[in-house]
Amino acid sequence: MAVTDPPERRALPVLAGAPAFDAPLYRTLLSAPGLSVLAGALDELLAWGSRNALWVFPMATSCCGIELMAAAASRVDLDRMGTIVRATPRQADVMVVAGTITVKMAPRVKALWEQMPEPRWCIAMGSCAISGDFYRNLYSVIPGIDTVIPVDVYVPGCPPNPEALMHGLLRLQEKIKATRAGTFAAPELNPALLTTTRPSIARVVDADRDPTQSDQQTASADHATASDKTDARPEGSPEPAAYEAVAPDASPARDFADLVRDEFGVTDIPAGMAPLVETAKHVALARRLRALGYKQLVYVVVSHYAAKTGARAAPERFELACAVRTVGEGSRVAAWRLALEPGEAVPTLVGVYAGADWQEREQYDLTGVRFAGHPDLRRIMMPEDWVGHPLRKDYAADTACPPWR
Amino acid sequence: MQTQSARRGRVDPHLSMRDYDPEADLMLLHFGPQHPSTHGVFRMDLHLDGEVVVKATPYLGYLHRAVEKLCERLTYVQQTPVVDKNDYVAPMTNEQALNMAFEKLLNVEVPRRARWVRTLFAELQRIASHLLWLGTFALDLGGALGGGSTLFIHTFRERELILDLFEEVTGARFHYNTHTLGGNRHDLPAGFDVKVKAALAEIEARLDGYETMTLHNSIFVARTRGVGVLDGELALELGITGPILRASGVDHDLRRDAPYGAYDELKVRVAVEQGGDCYARAKVRVAEMRDSIRLVREAIEGVPEGPLCGFKPIRLVGQVKATAGQVYVAIETPRGELGTFVIASPDNPTAPHRLKIRSPSLHALSAIPYIVPGATVSDAVAILGSLDPIMGEVDR
Amino acid sequence: MNALAHGASYGALIILTLLTTVAMGVWFERKFAGRMQSRLGPTMVGPVGLLQSVADVVKLLNKEDIIPRDADRGLFTLAPVLAALLSLGAAAVVPFSSTVVAADLDIGVIWVVALGGLTVIATFAAGWSSNNKFALLGAMRGIAQSVSYGVPLVLSVLVPVILAGTMSLSGIVAWQTRHHWFALWPVIPGLPALGLFFLAMLAESNRIPFDIPEAESELVAGVTTEYTGAKFVLFYMAEYVHTLVGSAVASVLFLGGWDGPIAPGLHWMVAKTLALFVAVYWVRWSLLRYRSDQLMALCWRRLTPLGVGLVLLASAWALFAPGGPA
Ligand code: SF4
Repeated sequence: MAVTDPPERRALPVLAGAPAFDAPLYRTLLSAPGLSVLAGALDELLAWGSRNALWVFPMATSCCGIELMAAAASRVDLDRMGTIVRATPRQADVMVVAGTITVKMAPRVKALWEQMPEPRWCIAMGSCAISGDFYRNLYSVIPGIDTVIPVDVYVPGCPPNPEALMHGLLRLQEKIKATRAGTFAAPELNPALLTTTRPSIARVVDADRDPTQSDQQTASADHATASDKTDARPEGSPEPAAYEAVAPDASPARDFADLVRDEFGVTDIPAGMAPLVETAKHVALARRLRALGYKQLVYVVVSHYAAKTGARAAPERFELACAVRTVGEGSRVAAWRLALEPGEAVPTLVGVYAGADWQEREQYDLTGVRFAGHPDLRRIMMPEDWVGHPLRKDYAADTACPPWR
Repeated sequence: MQTQSARRGRVDPHLSMRDYDPEADLMLLHFGPQHPSTHGVFRMDLHLDGEVVVKATPYLGYLHRAVEKLCERLTYVQQTPVVDKNDYVAPMTNEQALNMAFEKLLNVEVPRRARWVRTLFAELQRIASHLLWLGTFALDLGGALGGGSTLFIHTFRERELILDLFEEVTGARFHYNTHTLGGNRHDLPAGFDVKVKAALAEIEARLDGYETMTLHNSIFVARTRGVGVLDGELALELGITGPILRASGVDHDLRRDAPYGAYDELKVRVAVEQGGDCYARAKVRVAEMRDSIRLVREAIEGVPEGPLCGFKPIRLVGQVKATAGQVYVAIETPRGELGTFVIASPDNPTAPHRLKIRSPSLHALSAIPYIVPGATVSDAVAILGSLDPIMGEVDR
Repeated sequence: MNALAHGASYGALIILTLLTTVAMGVWFERKFAGRMQSRLGPTMVGPVGLLQSVADVVKLLNKEDIIPRDADRGLFTLAPVLAALLSLGAAAVVPFSSTVVAADLDIGVIWVVALGGLTVIATFAAGWSSNNKFALLGAMRGIAQSVSYGVPLVLSVLVPVILAGTMSLSGIVAWQTRHHWFALWPVIPGLPALGLFFLAMLAESNRIPFDIPEAESELVAGVTTEYTGAKFVLFYMAEYVHTLVGSAVASVLFLGGWDGPIAPGLHWMVAKTLALFVAVYWVRWSLLRYRSDQLMALCWRRLTPLGVGLVLLASAWALFAPGGPA
C-alpha cells in the first residue's frame, strides 16, 4: 500500500476545469434546423434558468446543518433567490454538504451525489466539509468532502453564518454564469497554503489495490443490514441473559460504601474513587442496587491501560466503571469499578438494566472488551468490518482507513 | 419462540425475523441515514408489514467524530471548543458539563457570579433548544411544504432572538467557547438584562400561539396522543432522562434533585406528565420553556457582582495538570442528564486518561426498538422527532 | 365542423390560460407562504420574483433525465404524461363563461369526476415503476386515499346534480343563474356539500392535511421520489392543474359559476376559482397532516355518512320543496 504525500490529495478536482455542462434540452434544440442561430440567446436563457432556481439537497449531518436550516428561515430566507430545499437528490441542483463527514457516511454522500441529475453543483459548508476541521486527523473523519466529490464553492466558518451560505450561493450563480459564458477561470492557488493546511495524516492511495476491495469498503456499513436480513444471530452468540424480576427492597436506605463493604467483601475503598468489585459479583451488585431503588442506569465505561515498562512497569489492563442512580429528590449515584485482564469477558448487565445493551456495545466497539451473555454484541459506532478498537491506548488516533482517507 | 424480554411484557428489541410469521409479506425499509426527518444522520431499518412496523433496528455511528479519542490527545485547557460540537443545539451545556467535571477533578472553586451566569445561559439555551425542537417536530408532522414549515420558521425566528443575545456576549451564534476552568470568559455586556427581558417578552407572547397551533390543535393531538408510549420503568432502565423521562411520569430533574450552579437558590418547577406518549413529551417541553422563561427572569435579576472566574488566567495549554482521580459530573441539559466522566492518570498529567461523555440522546434513541414496533411509518417519524435526538451527541 | 373548431380554439386557450395560471399560482403560493411565515418569498428573479416559476421550469427542462436502472422504463415515462393529460382533460368541460368552454358535454359532471378518479392510475404507475420503496409506499397510500375519497366526492357532487336536475356543468350554472347559488340556497344540503367537496378535493389532489402520498417528512417525495427534470415538471404541473380545475368545478357546482352582478361572467368565474385556489393554500400552509389510517377513518366514518345524508336531503328538497327544481 503506497502512502502518498499529503499535498497530492489537494488536486482540487473542481478547479481543474469547468465541469461539462450537459443540457439535453439544449442539445435537442440546437440540432433542430434553423434554431442554431438562436444559440446565443438560448444559451443565456438556459444559464439564467439554471442559476436562478438552485434547489438545494441538504447533506446536513451536524452543526452546520442547523445553520443551513436557519438560512431557510425568515431572517435570511433563501427562497428570495428561488432556492428551496428538496428532500430527494433527484430534484436537486446543489448539494450543500453541511457538517462533518465520517468514513461511515462518505460512501453514502457519494451515492447521493451520483443520484443527482446533471448539471449539479456542490457547496462545502463549514470547516468540516472543507477540510475536516479539527477532526481531520482522526481515524473516523474524512479530511474534506472534496476527497469524495468535486466541490464548486467553499463557505468557510465553524459554522458559517446563514448570510455566508447565501453569499456562497450567490457566488455559485456567478460561477455558473461565467462557466456558461466560457469566462470562468479557476482562482490561483497559493502554494504555501497547501503545505500549511495539509493534514498530518497521509491519504492512503494504493495503485495495486483491487477495486473490488474499495467497493467492499463502500458497502461495509451495510453489512449490519445484510446480516439482519439473513437474520442469523452471530454463530455461537449466547442466548440473552435471563431476566429476573427484581423485587424492591423496602429496607431503609443504606450507605453505598457500607453496602459493598458488608455484602460484597470490598475492604478498601480509596478516597474519591469508586470501590473495586470482583467481576463475578458485578451482576449481583447491580441487581441488589436495583432492588434498593437505584433504578436508573447512568453509564458503563471501559478504559484501557497499556502495558508499561521501566520504573512503573505494569501489565496491560482494562477497567470498567459503572454507575446507577436513584431518582427523585436527593438523587444518589452508586458507582463501582471492575478490574479486567486483557481478553477477560464481563458478564452483561442487560438482564438487569435494559439500557446496558447499547452502552456495552459501544464499549465493546471502542475498546474491544467482550460482554458475556450480551444478546447482540455488534459494533455500534464503527462500520461492521472495522479493524481495531479505537479507544485502546495502542490505537493511533490518526489511523487511516482506505479508501476514504 | 418466546424470547426473554417478551416475557417481561415488553417488545423484544432483538426480535429475530426468523421467528416472525413466515407467511407475512414483509418489506425492509431503510430509513436514513440521509432522510428529511432523521434529525441528522441516524438510520433505522424498519421491517414493515403493510405500513405497520414489526421491528425497528437503529444504526448509529454516521457522525462518530471520535471526540473521546480527541479529548485524550488534547490538554484540559483545549477541550472546551471541541465538546461544544457534541450537542450542537445547546452547545453551552456541553461546555458546562465538561468544565464542571474538570473543576471537581482539580478542586477549583467557582465564584457565585459565574455560577449564576452559567445558569442564566443554560436556561436560555433550554428555551432555544426546545424552540428548535418544537419547530422540527412540527416539520416531522406537517412536512416541509405545509403547516409544519410555517411553525418551524416561526420558532426559528424566536430562536434567533436568543442567538442574538449570545452573539452579543460571546461573538458567536453558536459554539461559544465561553466556559472555562473556574468560571466564564465573557462577562455580560452593559444593558444585557434589558435585552434579555425584551426577548423573553416576545417569546412568551408568541408561545401562546404556538401552543394553540400544537397542543390545542386536533390534528396535532391525533398524531401524538397514544403514539410511542414509553413506560416509566423501562425509561429508567434504559437510562433515559430529561423531558422524555418526565413525560413518562417519573419526577426527576437534576436541577432540583442534585443541584449545581445556581439551582440551590433558584427553584425549578419540574413539569411531569403521566401519558408517556409523544403528546406528553411535547407538553413537558412547552411547560419547561415557560418555566425557563421564569428562571431566566429571576436569574438576570439576581446575578451577583463579583469575579467571573475563580482560576488563574490560562497562559499555556499545558498549564492545568491532574495526576489522579476519577470524577463524574452531570447536569440537566434540554435533553436530560449530560455527564462527563474523567479519569486522570499520572502518565499524562495535562490530558485526561479517558474521557467519556454520557449523552442523553444516545439513551433516548435506545428506546426506539421498544416503542416503534406496532406503529406506522408516520408514527415512527413522530416518535423519532419526539425523542429529540442530536446526532452529534449520540455518536460523538 | 364548427363545434370542432370552437372546441379546439377554446381548448387551446383554456390550456394556455391554465398553464400560465399555474405558473403564476406557484409564484403566488410561494409569496403567500412566505408572508405567512414572516419572510418574503421570491424577490430576486424578475420584478418581485415574478419570473421565479419560469426559471424553475427552464431549469427543470434543462436537467438530465434519469431513469433508474431497475425501473420499468415504459410505465416510468408514461406516468407523468398520463398525470398531466388527465388533469388537463378535466378542464375541457369546465364552463368558464356561457361561451368559454371547450366541450359542453351533457355528462360533464361524470367526465370531471371520472378523470379526477383516473389520476390514481398515474400515481400508481409512477410509484410502481420507480422501483423505490418510498415511491411504492406513497402509491399505496395514494390509491387507498383516492379510491376512498372518491365516494364523498361523488356524493357531494350529486347534491347540485339532483337539485338542478342535470349533469351538464353549463346546465347546472344556468339553473343557478335562474334561481340561486347552491351554496346559499337551499343552504342545508348546499353549503355542507361545498365543504365536503372542498375536503374531498384536497384529498384527491393530495394537499395538506391529506398529502400523505407524498408526505415528504416520511416518504422523502412519495411517488415522485425518482423523477427528475421534465417528468417532474409534468407531475408538479398536474398537481396544480388538478387543484385549479377542482376549484373551478367547485365554483361551477356550488357558487354559481359565471353568475354575478355588474362584471362580465368570466371575471366572476375567475375570481371564484382563484378564491378557492387561495383557500387551498391557506389550509396547506397552516395545518399539519393526518396519518393514513386516520384519514381513512375520517372518510368512511364521517364524510361518507355525511354525504349520504346530504344526498337524501337534496332529493327530499327536489321532491317536496315548493318551487323546487324546474
Ligand atoms: S464546521 Fe464546525 S459547525 Fe460545521 S459541522 Fe464542523 S464542527 Fe460543526
